[in-house]
Amino acid sequence: MTITRHPIRKEIQRGCISIFAGVALWELLARALLENELLIPPPTSVVRTFWRLTLSGELYKHFQATLIEFTYGFSAACVVGVTLGYLMGRYKWFDDILDPWIATLYSIPVIALVPLIIIWFGIGIISKIVVVFKITLVAIMLNTAAGIKNLDPVWLELAKSLRLNGWETTYKIRFPGALPYIITGMRLGVGRALLAVVVAELMAANAGLGYLLRDSSETWDSPKLFVTVILLAAIGLVSFNLIKRVEQKMAPWRQSAEWSSES
Amino acid sequence: MNENRNLTPTLLRVGSVITGLLLWHYIANLVINDTAILVSPVVVVTKAYEMLVTTGELYPHLFASSQIFFWGFVLAILVGVPLGFVMALSPLVRDYVNPWMTTLYTAPRIAFAPVLLLWFGIGAGSKIAIVFLGCVFPILINSYYGMRVVNREYVELARSFRLNRWALFGKILLPASIPFILSGIRLAIGRGLTGVAIAEWFGASEGLGYLVFFAGQTLNVPILFVGVAAFALLGIIGFELVRRFEAFVTPWRKA
Repeated sequence: MTITRHPIRKEIQRGCISIFAGVALWELLARALLENELLIPPPTSVVRTFWRLTLSGELYKHFQATLIEFTYGFSAACVVGVTLGYLMGRYKWFDDILDPWIATLYSIPVIALVPLIIIWFGIGIISKIVVVFKITLVAIMLNTAAGIKNLDPVWLELAKSLRLNGWETTYKIRFPGALPYIITGMRLGVGRALLAVVVAELMAANAGLGYLLRDSSETWDSPKLFVTVILLAAIGLVSFNLIKRVEQKMAPWRQSAEWSSES
Repeated sequence: MNENRNLTPTLLRVGSVITGLLLWHYIANLVINDTAILVSPVVVVTKAYEMLVTTGELYPHLFASSQIFFWGFVLAILVGVPLGFVMALSPLVRDYVNPWMTTLYTAPRIAFAPVLLLWFGIGAGSKIAIVFLGCVFPILINSYYGMRVVNREYVELARSFRLNRWALFGKILLPASIPFILSGIRLAIGRGLTGVAIAEWFGASEGLGYLVFFAGQTLNVPILFVGVAAFALLGIIGFELVRRFEAFVTPWRKA
């Protein structure tokens, strides 16, 4: 807009330089200034630990546990969230009934609810699925409702003049119209759900990346801790970008105020 | 007619809240009947009254949490807004900072908590750092975005008035990006509260987060609910404060 755009290749080039320089600096400083690896392990030792954990299958086991919890909770939330959100968008009275409860649930930090969910659902996999479900549900519900409400009335008139029946209007007009909003809700849900599942695993679990985090920090195993942290960061990055791609494809006209969305 | 239309939603809302609370009360007392799992809202309110008025034991926790929240939040604004501006105005800085920023932003924040604890110890420092890490990105991103989407016509207007760089910044760019910054701050409140809860779970001896986790571990459900309610209340109050401030600072925007 006001600032001239520069070619994307330069951007990537600079990004790579920045990452490379940062890692090199980290390695140098960690080797030169610190005697032991407790505070900041150098990248080489992090990579070595990563390789060791991968070979032993330990990393895979925890990764799989987290992934399963995440997938179950997330898919359940998508189904229930879209349904309830649709009803909220269509019927004002339903919205009014649910609104005070959603507003309350929304303003509670998820982390504060985790102990309660663990009391109710135990320390196994179910409590983590519930945590993921709860967080994703609210985001998807609110966004679906907004999408249904903000539907362009022209489309509804079109549906009327084409004599679509109620079901067809929902299926062919309302749902596709709200889809970009639903995807936005999912994207918001992914980040929070990832955070929450790790918290729940940290608090009480015997597998999962959160458990690994706790295990390595309690045994002062810094390289292992850093492996987990970097892995979690990578998972966050990949899932965020994946959903953003989907979002851009579904609704290229929408400008999102998120990071690295260039004007 | 008009009155009637406004009345029905209110009735529905109030009815929904009352029905929900009654349902909660009877499920707790008749179906579950185990105070280690669920207690009636009456018990929760009694407990809250006791902790606020009779013993006053909630105040130290509230105070500890708000202190951590405040410092982390203020630091996040002090760092986030200028950095967002610099990144918006200089593509060079943006390109170098961007990969690190994106990584830190998209990673689940809790992952950094043990590392920060390792670096800053279990005192206030690590807790403030965790809150800071939660708050800074929404603020930074919104400041950046606000500066980037300033209407081109305003900038051209400034050029035709021959405003110098600083005047352009102070009179056009800054006011135009304030609504964005404020919505970033609003987003940051929720994330900051989550940060407080995370921070106090790691090696704290007071604070709302500590209260909730301690209650969870000792199966003290009434206190657990009071703690959760306190968090919700803080979130609502913070949100409302920023909204009021927003309406005050940017009166040209429709509320």
